[in-house]
Formats: sequence, C-alpha cells, structure tokens
Amino acid sequence: MPNLPRKKVGLISCSGEEMPEGTVTRRAVRKVLETLHPDDTVTLCLPLFLAGGEGERAFARYYPTIAIDGCDKRCAALATQKYSAKPAASIVVTEIAKECGCKGMGSARRLNAEGLRLTDEVAGKIVDETNRLLRKKPRDVQRGVGGGKP
Amino acid sequence: MKRKIPVVPCSGIGKSLGAAAREAAYILAEDLRPDKTKVVPLSLLVMGDEDARGEVAGGEAVAIDGCKLECAAKGLACSGASKVHKVAVFDVVRRHRGLKPEGVCDLNEDGLKLARATADEAAKIIDAPGGEGSHA
Amino acid sequence: MTSSFLELTVDKFRFRFPADLFYSEAGVWVRFEGRRARVGLSDFTQQRNGDVAFAEPKEPGTAVPAGDEVAIVETIKVNLSIPSPITGKVVEINSELLNAPELINQDPYGKGWMAVLEVEDEEAARRDLKTASDYLAIAKAQAEAEVLR
Repeated sequence: MPNLPRKKVGLISCSGEEMPEGTVTRRAVRKVLETLHPDDTVTLCLPLFLAGGEGERAFARYYPTIAIDGCDKRCAALATQKYSAKPAASIVVTEIAKECGCKGMGSARRLNAEGLRLTDEVAGKIVDETNRLLRKKPRDVQRGVGGGKP
Repeated sequence: MKRKIPVVPCSGIGKSLGAAAREAAYILAEDLRPDKTKVVPLSLLVMGDEDARGEVAGGEAVAIDGCKLECAAKGLACSGASKVHKVAVFDVVRRHRGLKPEGVCDLNEDGLKLARATADEAAKIIDAPGGEGSHA
Repeated sequence: MTSSFLELTVDKFRFRFPADLFYSEAGVWVRFEGRRARVGLSDFTQQRNGDVAFAEPKEPGTAVPAGDEVAIVETIKVNLSIPSPITGKVVEINSELLNAPELINQDPYGKGWMAVLEVEDEEAARRDLKTASDYLAIAKAQAEAEVLR
C-alpha cells in the first residue's frame, strides 16, 4: 500500500477523436484541472491507462475517479473498471447535451460556440461530482474563467 | 469503395505532444489525404468496438504517437492491422530542433508547426509505393 | 546493478531512487566506481522536465568543477544546463544518447547514464552529496510544491 497523501480525484476522459463530444470531454477535463478545481484533481491519460501505465492504474485503485465519456460507448468508464476499479462517477456528454439543449457543437477538430458552452456545462458537472466525492460545499470552488495554472 | 487507411492518434491528455499527435491526425485525414485516410479512436479499438476493429482488420494503419511510450502503436498492434506504420511526434521534434510545443487543448504556434510537420511525414508514408495509399 | 530502491509517490507520479547511489540537490545521481564516478539524471529530474530530445555531455578531457555545467539536456519543455555533482574530468560519455536520448527517461539509472568522470578527491566529493533518503526528502518537497503550485 503506497503512502497516500491528500485525497484527490482522478479525471479520465475518452477524448474520442471522431466526434465533437470527445473533444468536449477533453476540454472540460483540462478546464477543471487548470482553472476550476486545480488543487483537488489529477488527469489520468486514457491511452496510457490502456497501454498499461502503472501510475495511472495505481492511482485509480486508491483514489476516486470520474470517467467523462463523449458517448454511451463509455470507453473511459469501461476501461477504468476493467483495468483498475469502477469509477466513483460517470459523466456522458451526449446526455448532458440533451439536458441543456445543446445541438450542433462544431467538429471534433474545432468546437463552435455551442460546443464551448457544452464544455462549460460538462466542466460544471465534473466540479459538482468532485465536490461530492471530496465532500466539499459548492461555494468552495469558484466557477468561470480566470486564474489557474500556467 | 476503396478502404481508407485508419489513422490512430494517441491523443494523450497529459502532454502537448499528445495534442500534437491528435492535431496531426486531423491535418492528415481532413486536409492532406482526406480520400485515403480516416481517424479511428484508439480507445474504441482497445476496448474491442466491432466497428473500429473492422476499420483496422487485415489492412495497413498509421499510429501517431506523442512520445516513446507508443500507446497508439501498441493498441493498433493488438487490433488486427496487417501492418502498422509508426509516426512519433517526439522523433519529428528532434528533426525540428528549437520547437517548444505548449498547450493541450489549444496548441501554441510551435505545437501547430509540429503537428503539421508530423502530418507531412505521415502523408509520405501513406503515399509510399507499394502501399494501400499509393494509388492516385 | 542495485536491487534496492526508495520510492516516492505524489498523485499518480512515482519516483524511484536507488539506495546505493549519491545525489546532488540539483537531481544528478552519482555512482562511484573506484577512482571514477558515473553520473546521470535522477528519476525525479527526468520526469519533472519531460521527454529528452537532445543530451550533450561535455567532451572527454573536459575538466569540470563541481557546480559547473557537465551536460546540456534539451527536453520538450525546457533547455537544462546540468551542473556537475562533483569535481572531476570527463573521461567517457554515453554515445547511445546521440540517437536515443529517451534512454534518460526510460532507464535513468542504467542505460541513461550521461558521463563518467575521473574524481580528484572522492572523500570530498562524497561529503557534498546526499544519500538516497536525504535526496528523497528534497524531491518530495519539490514535487509537492509543484503539485500544489
């Protein structure tokens, strides 16, 4: 059992390249990591996870993870469960898109304004789940643009 | 319809090289060789998605990896491709000394140059005589 | 080759430090081999600075005081001037790094060695270096500071 410091949440996204929802997952995760919840989150690299990355798989065994998938194929959630442990939470972008009425988000390569709006919604959901897992109050974290890491 | 050669980027989210690999795949499949190539997600391949595996099975494929960990190449090797061409962004960096790519969601100028250089190298592989992509 | 490692885990990152090596505060390891010393980058240093694209140790015959540049390492992120952990003369460099600089990342304590120096005063050199456990404490503080920003 490794020496476990402060509890953090691992974010693992599908980054599906053939659909804009995959790009949304990637951008949302980076937004949470860099700006919205920088001290309490870590990204886990799905390609490395799938290829046998020890650090990624070990982290997911001992810390809570949130899987963020573009579609209901749920590659990130299934991979995490298969190779490590079931994620503590699972977010699917297509479901959030339906909830917030988001349509036509651009291409996988370049999101449009609607795609960026969806990114913010997904990032917000990730923040909510992170707070729930860390038992933090919503007001502990300030949403929106600004600040973050270089 | 002639088979399009699958291009599989690693899309690593932790480093700018992963972002450059992803962007290179898009440049190749959308700008440089749209008639010959298509992007196939690595995670679908590795998780055994039938459609993704069907794209790869029995033919050539191109893996574009950000770093020497070669996640895309490893994933493709187990997915039924008859031949995997490996393109490593990291090696392209060494041929373009001085480039310092930054950013994961939005690559900086050096990152975009690197992606373009990587895509160009991959396009040459696609066009090589004797391969699937060597038709006009 | 050593069989015993000290390990440090920070978030998903795991760093290893062979217990029988010495280390400078700058993150360069030293293995004394008789009157010579083999040097390279610690696992922490190589992970922290990213994938190595170029590694250029000083040429054999170069006298290097402790603290002076013994190598230049260019990674994807930064260009590093590597300070020599000891005073000595470069007698051998790792020519494998010319074509495979990634060895520093893949095997920092083995195939990724950078240079061998002839040591003027081994006793004095050892005095200025850290043991593995002392260096682990330094690396831990630096790693946690970076993670917390």
